[in-house]
Amino acid sequence: MKKNRLMIVLFLTPALLCYLLVFLYPSVRTTVMSFFKVESVSDPISSWTFNGLENYRTLWATSIFKQSMKNIARIWFAGGLGVMIVALFFAVSLTNGMKGVKFFRSVIYLPNVVSAIAMGTMWINYVYNSSYGLLHNIFATLRLAVLSETLWTGPDNLFWSMLVAYCFGMVGYHMLIFMASIEQIPRDYTEAALIEGANAFQRFYKITLPFLRGCFRTNLVMWTVFTVGFFVWAQLFSPVNLSNATVAPMNYMYELVFGSSASTGTMRNSGAGAAIGVIMMVIVIIAFALTNLIVRSDDVEL
Amino acid sequence: MATKSLRTLDSNNQRRLLPSYILIITWVIFTFILIGWVLFASLSTSQEIFSDHMFRFKTGFHFDNYVRAWKTQRVSTYFMNSVLYTAVSCTTIILIAAPAAYVLSRFRFKGNSVVQNLIASALGIPAIMIVMPLFSLVSRMRLTNNRWLLIFLYISMNVPFTTFFLLAFFKNLSTTYEEAASIDGCSPMGTFWRIMLPLVQPGLITVTVFNFITIWNEYFMSMIFANKPQVRPVSVGLFNMIQAMRYTGDWGGMFASVVIVFAPTFLLYIFLSERIIAGVTAGAIKG
Repeated sequence: MKKNRLMIVLFLTPALLCYLLVFLYPSVRTTVMSFFKVESVSDPISSWTFNGLENYRTLWATSIFKQSMKNIARIWFAGGLGVMIVALFFAVSLTNGMKGVKFFRSVIYLPNVVSAIAMGTMWINYVYNSSYGLLHNIFATLRLAVLSETLWTGPDNLFWSMLVAYCFGMVGYHMLIFMASIEQIPRDYTEAALIEGANAFQRFYKITLPFLRGCFRTNLVMWTVFTVGFFVWAQLFSPVNLSNATVAPMNYMYELVFGSSASTGTMRNSGAGAAIGVIMMVIVIIAFALTNLIVRSDDVEL
Repeated sequence: MATKSLRTLDSNNQRRLLPSYILIITWVIFTFILIGWVLFASLSTSQEIFSDHMFRFKTGFHFDNYVRAWKTQRVSTYFMNSVLYTAVSCTTIILIAAPAAYVLSRFRFKGNSVVQNLIASALGIPAIMIVMPLFSLVSRMRLTNNRWLLIFLYISMNVPFTTFFLLAFFKNLSTTYEEAASIDGCSPMGTFWRIMLPLVQPGLITVTVFNFITIWNEYFMSMIFANKPQVRPVSVGLFNMIQAMRYTGDWGGMFASVVIVFAPTFLLYIFLSERIIAGVTAGAIKG
């Protein structure tokens, strides 16, 4: 037993140290920092001055922050709805006796393994390009002049263009999670329903959906975690300055704390940056708690 | 009789699946066009990309785009940096996470479930929450733009996921292996390294592929902690290159850089897609 204790300590310590140093300590310090006035992120604690909820109030009065929250709310809701519907549709189709499942599934998941920078570059410089781009060519062939001349990455369309490009890559991940749950539904159920003459919609509503409650929870929590971390795509679609159309809280935090572009005139304010971090963390916790509440995990654990 | 009726039901089913086939095949073709186009564009000149006869390759295949990207645009530096970072990190992650996962899944001790919950909680902590204190710590220790610091971050950030992933693999092993080993006089630690670790090899490979893809594509942390070109990994390097090349007008070179950067994970995926897909669901469903 004594030997085991030594082994437990030896085997756990490195992993715990990683956790303490890179997750626990920074999270606690960020939370504390969000209640203090801190100008530069590397200021020592002695120069911090306590200012209660002032950082949060400042954020709430800043229009670009409100815009960034509005943007991730739209990403979460509109993007989430689109991704879940397409992912579920693909998952149900692919588990319903289609041929070539393995091939289709691999191709649909593919964007997840490619660097977001590379994917974004393909979308911006090819699909959305207004002189030789894919959309331009398709609409020009169909003689839809208005659509073929649309500037997809112009200010009016920037947000939705970004959202479509982002969601295209996300479908694969959520589809795989749906598929794994659907595959665990006992075949007898579907076969019995098939023989009894239930159509695809009836089978979907009466058998598939009830079984999928647990996996909706996983998908919703993961979608929230991804949305909160939304950063690269906004930077790709507005590479130089923050723009109202694409800014996400993380981009604004980066601007506040590590300030890259002087032209936006953002003052360095690391306390407010920390407050953004805390707000994002709280969103994840709320999403986790809510999905636990709505979709009771004891229903069907797959 | 029963099989026959099932077969007619199946052919009916195939017909009903027609809309699904159309949508999924369109989606798949679109993905292929996206990647195929970049491949072709990376072999064309900038003028050809903008012309309407771009894929006829009248002036031949321009492999010089790759040579230019590799040599003059520092892609070689970024690429080699990323190779170093991913190789060292992926190995060390296993050396740290596998023993932890083993102990957590096999031994009963006070605080076991607390540690497991802590590790699971790390999966939900966004990068934005941890980046500021880390940066302040690192800049006071004057470690920004340090390769080993980057490697340390890549390791630490992926240890919780890897531990969590491997827990299930160790839980599924029978305890008879350990019993037999202890009867033969093998120490618990020896049992782990010599018997248990090789038994979870499939899990180790899958999770390493995941870590490889994550670290290769990691952008946010690298952008903050590596701002000198000499230490940049591919993702940050590519972003900067794209911004620069848009202004110099070297489109062929830009797409060649894109291809060089996504090639490693893409090739890995072609060979290991089944394994990766099985891993996605194994890792996520319990999360």
